[in-house]
Amino acid sequence: MQTAEFRAAVVSWIDDHGGQELALSPDRSGSIDAVLGHQRRIQRMLFDAGLMRWGWPERAGGLGGTPALRAVLGEELTGRAIVHTAPWSMHEVLGPAVLEFGPPDLVADAFPRLLRGEEIWCQGFSEPDAGSDLGSLRTTATRDGDGWVINGEKLWTSFAHHASRCVVLARTGEPRSGSRGVSAFLVDMDTPGITASPLRTMADVDEFCSTSFLNVAVPANRLLGSPGGGWQVAQYILSCERGPIFWQRGAWLGHHLAKLVPAARDARSQALVGDAFQQLWAFRARSMATQRQIAQGNLPGPEASVDKIMIAATDQAVFDAARELLDGGLETDDSPAGAAWRREWAYSRAATIYGGTSEIQKDIVSLRLLGLPRGA
Amino acid sequence: MMAADERALLAETLDQLAREHDGAELTKALEHFGFADLLAGSPRVAVAELFTAMGRAGSMSAAIQDVLGQPLGDLAGQAGLADLPGRAGHDAARPAVLLPAMGQPLAGIVQDGGLTMRGLLLGQRQADVMLAPLSSGGEIAWVRVPDPGPQARRLVAGLDPALALTEITLTPGMAAGPAAEVVLAGKEAERRWQAVAAAGRRALGYQIVGAASQMIELAVSHARERVQFGRPVGSFQAVRHRLADSFVAREGAAAALDLAWDADDERLAGMLAKSLAGRAARIAATQCQQVLAGVGFTAEHPFHRYLARAMVLDRVLGSAAELPTEIGAELAAAGAIPRLAEL
Repeated sequence: MQTAEFRAAVVSWIDDHGGQELALSPDRSGSIDAVLGHQRRIQRMLFDAGLMRWGWPERAGGLGGTPALRAVLGEELTGRAIVHTAPWSMHEVLGPAVLEFGPPDLVADAFPRLLRGEEIWCQGFSEPDAGSDLGSLRTTATRDGDGWVINGEKLWTSFAHHASRCVVLARTGEPRSGSRGVSAFLVDMDTPGITASPLRTMADVDEFCSTSFLNVAVPANRLLGSPGGGWQVAQYILSCERGPIFWQRGAWLGHHLAKLVPAARDARSQALVGDAFQQLWAFRARSMATQRQIAQGNLPGPEASVDKIMIAATDQAVFDAARELLDGGLETDDSPAGAAWRREWAYSRAATIYGGTSEIQKDIVSLRLLGLPRGA
Repeated sequence: MMAADERALLAETLDQLAREHDGAELTKALEHFGFADLLAGSPRVAVAELFTAMGRAGSMSAAIQDVLGQPLGDLAGQAGLADLPGRAGHDAARPAVLLPAMGQPLAGIVQDGGLTMRGLLLGQRQADVMLAPLSSGGEIAWVRVPDPGPQARRLVAGLDPALALTEITLTPGMAAGPAAEVVLAGKEAERRWQAVAAAGRRALGYQIVGAASQMIELAVSHARERVQFGRPVGSFQAVRHRLADSFVAREGAAAALDLAWDADDERLAGMLAKSLAGRAARIAATQCQQVLAGVGFTAEHPFHRYLARAMVLDRVLGSAAELPTEIGAELAAAGAIPRLAEL
């Protein structure tokens, strides 16, 4: 399946199913229940039409083809706001690592449900004392017969309160074992001992949670990779994030910028729109090369930190332009549309933080791409 | 599509020529190399490799005139100019393309048969005639202008004397007026101007990105070697992040230049690429100058040459300060955000 052919199939499917009417209306986009419920319906329809299955291997319920097909699907959906990029990203964030490191029977069982929208997965990486410094995480997984018992607290676990499963990073080595003593697990969220407590974001949405694990029993076949191989899984997940997820975020930004264009009537507004668009275009050009590398089977390395820095800056440029062009609307408009702009603007503030802060990315660029020396 | 190893070899050769020669000498060396043939056969490779190399080396040549003249080839013939760009040894007969003065949309105006021109000649081509895009009755006209002589020419020293930029200023009373001839008007003249502007923006974009790359390279090697407080200054995060910012801006501009050739709107993609190149150069200039500190402020250190070259070229065919407004106006007129190129 070629990307052009696939794109045509996706676009005609969208047109046949109501086109722009498939988009979630602004008055419902503030409710995570509504956003996720809408996405589940769309995802189920896309799965039944086969479109959700392209770009994933057959052993996972897919139809084969490169990840570029997933990027195209995400682009056409988020570019019309049919799905929201944040929840739509979750299968992209976690799916590839479970495919790569999960036992085959687990993949065959769980993956089709993920693709059909029956399940949402979440990512249990960050902790209260382990954000950018992920290697200092304290959640533990100790042996118990064949299986494991997990104890600890995770933070910023997006959609944990709606998720069926969680990829958890936990320490299986000594307390001071750093990144070497970490293992990754796919944990069922309905296991006794897990409590996901939503934290309200400044975007006024219950998107992420504080998630505690108290004597959570995890069977042996839920280990991803080998004991102590969790860092490799984490690195894999982070590099997969640079693929279709960034691409569809770009489409989402393009969709929002397009809504602002009619308001750009004076030179000042045009300069803001022009600047945001040129950053979006530079990102698109950069990311296109990355997507093509991924399609050839090359996982992005440190150079994808450039993509991350670019998309985060573009995200904020687009919504900063929105704030100016809405001319007070973002601060004062109490209609559903005004509230939706506020949410998206607020969400964009986190773009330089989530998925590895821009400071961490600049460290990677300067140390690994420019060859500058590490600090004392 | 050119094979990767063939392209690498070409790039290496052009890079060497751009480093060893400058100005008329480089022009001659490129003619000997057959640059015009390469430009005709593989414009993308020719422009990307040569102009990046000239940017990195800090050199310039009349190859910019070959690039600007490419969309006007038949026009030159129509005007009775036998020698199209690319014929070696007939420099004097080849037209030079006059670009608008900095900040101007066109190179002047034709009114009541009289010419008012303010334009720039890049690349030091000694030509008997110029082709100039002028405003005529609210439209664009290409005008063939005989060399207006020394009273209309000024070799610009300015910020970057080594660029050998020539400024042409012509007022209705001056000598060249009557012999000037409109060779193309209307929609086709507009289309050609857009093609010339896009070609020029891409070429100068590569050259600016090349200069930015050189600024980054100079600053990175300084940051690795210069020791203060007992450690290389490049080990301080505040220093490293300045260089990372420069590198990211450079990478974005380089990607936009490479994708400009595939975009379905050549004009918009050219404006975007040039604007992003200028933006990257401004970021690199600020950040790298700070990292180079005192030594980068001396005339002895080469940094200022790249800074000057990038700043001057940034202002030709629209700067990073001007183009975003124009781009925004285009988007507003279209009422949409184009994708320009598909995955």
